[in-house]
Amino acid sequence: MNTIKLYLHSMRMLLKSQLQYPASFIMQTIAQLVMEGGEFMAVILIVDRFDRLNQWMPGDLFFFFGIMSVTFYLTECFGRGVTGAFPGMVRAGQMDTLLIRPRGVLTQVLCSAIDPRRISCIAVGTAALVIGCQRSAVQWSLLKVLLMGESVLCGFFLILGLFLIEAVFCIYSVKSVELVNALTYGGRSACEYPIDIFPRPLRFVFTVIAPFALVMHVPAAYILGKPLFGWPAWVALVTPLAGLVTFAVMYVVFYRAMRHYRSTGS
Amino acid sequence: MAYIEAKGLTKVFTVRKKREKGHLMREKQQITALDSVSFRVEEGELVGYIGPNGAGKSTTVKLLSGILTPSAGTACVNGLIPWENRRQHVRDIGVVFGQRSQLWWDVPIADSFALLRDIYRIPLSSYTKRLDELTDALQLESLLRTPLRQLSLGQRMRAELCGSLLHSPRLLFLDEPTIGLDAVSKLALRDFLRHENKENGTTVLLTTHDMEDIAALCSRVMVLGHGKKLFDGALNDLLARYDTSRIVFVRYDGDIVLPPLPEQCTSERDGDGYRIVYEPAQVPTSVLLSALQAAGPIRELTAQPQSIDHLIAKMYREMDL
Repeated sequence: MNTIKLYLHSMRMLLKSQLQYPASFIMQTIAQLVMEGGEFMAVILIVDRFDRLNQWMPGDLFFFFGIMSVTFYLTECFGRGVTGAFPGMVRAGQMDTLLIRPRGVLTQVLCSAIDPRRISCIAVGTAALVIGCQRSAVQWSLLKVLLMGESVLCGFFLILGLFLIEAVFCIYSVKSVELVNALTYGGRSACEYPIDIFPRPLRFVFTVIAPFALVMHVPAAYILGKPLFGWPAWVALVTPLAGLVTFAVMYVVFYRAMRHYRSTGS
Repeated sequence: MAYIEAKGLTKVFTVRKKREKGHLMREKQQITALDSVSFRVEEGELVGYIGPNGAGKSTTVKLLSGILTPSAGTACVNGLIPWENRRQHVRDIGVVFGQRSQLWWDVPIADSFALLRDIYRIPLSSYTKRLDELTDALQLESLLRTPLRQLSLGQRMRAELCGSLLHSPRLLFLDEPTIGLDAVSKLALRDFLRHENKENGTTVLLTTHDMEDIAALCSRVMVLGHGKKLFDGALNDLLARYDTSRIVFVRYDGDIVLPPLPEQCTSERDGDGYRIVYEPAQVPTSVLLSALQAAGPIRELTAQPQSIDHLIAKMYREMDL
């Protein structure tokens, strides 16, 4: 409870400090809107050209895009400490100041950054979701609402977990490793589209290594009324948990790695 | 048992060198930052920790505050091993890094303090009391609503000190706290530290390059060089060994060429007078004086010991640091 209070307090304060520079904040938010709007345009153009992708109709594709957008940018907004600020914190020695406080390192990392500019990306994603639901005429039920919530929550932890891989490399080499971006940003770009349109090796990567397909595509397909491989509802409830597993594994690896933290300078 | 007890603390960093031509792998190099250092500090002591750049001072502080894990050896602070019981241990310590801020850059410092209260889970009543006490002693009241980025270096250091003492730690590490401060700020800071040590019994471990800090505050000083402990004792005992020479400035009426002085003296022109360095143990002062007086009418003569910085430099040279 106390940890949540601390997180909220931190977020309030970080927001306050970001709003110290309102012009910069507004401009960057608009820039993000243009960027994510462009991504959405790409999907619209594809839909316009092909009118269907395997069994997926335009509305379905909007839905897939939307759920990835919302989840990914929610993570980048509230998990900024892990998804963006971490390498800088290690390099500049801010890590030392976290270590001398009686709280978990990861808690403090999460409490140390927020990126409210992503709100515009989340808005684009939400718009895509709404359009997708309408065009695909989704029949909502309590189960589907639950599934959707579970998918977003587990997706949040999956993405945090993947970014933790980069964090672990940072601890060892005090430098970020671009290779990991293939999983994080690459995963986002690829998995805006449903998994079954990809060739086998890519399916493997996004099911087993970075299980975006399990966390997002399986429940999304169920919500759209076209369950992948005809799987029943309980499968769609179980597979998103892969996101939590990924996070748990990386959590353990992260704390192991912290023992090798070497600090910088004096 | 002593409050801090370090036994054979050793920290080896592995640094990878740049890959040389013709080699497939990069060579690794082992750098021993701290080499089997042992010491004890009792509760309530105010200990100075000195040594040239790169001697391992900061590494010691980082080990004792639980930031780093040692390669060998062990340490116990108040019965806890810092890097193993990190969370429990840091509840009772405060650390001030002279070159690294612990407060939030863009918000008023009062907001930073409020967040620290949540982090350390300080009850509201003791928090308000402690904050009042600290803002009073550090003269921070008028600055509480100012964002950290708008404070001067001296004000910032005071704010940092306040932030790291809010939870009333029993042990305070200060890593070069007076770096870059003006004379007034330095004196105020020293007064405050002395007060904090005396009134609250806070144990203080101070690393610094400013010998006046040590002279003004610390009864005990530890010298570190190349990762090894070279001296541990009273500052005066340390200085007595090296404080052997005196400096004399002498100015004559008119332009007079200095006569040859006893061999062990060195002399040089300094403005319109002379600066002579000699060791009273080798050349008695009376001998030097009569030689100087024989040269002509002396207008002005001052004698003084060498500055502490010179002594320390001499010590570092002799210890081959």
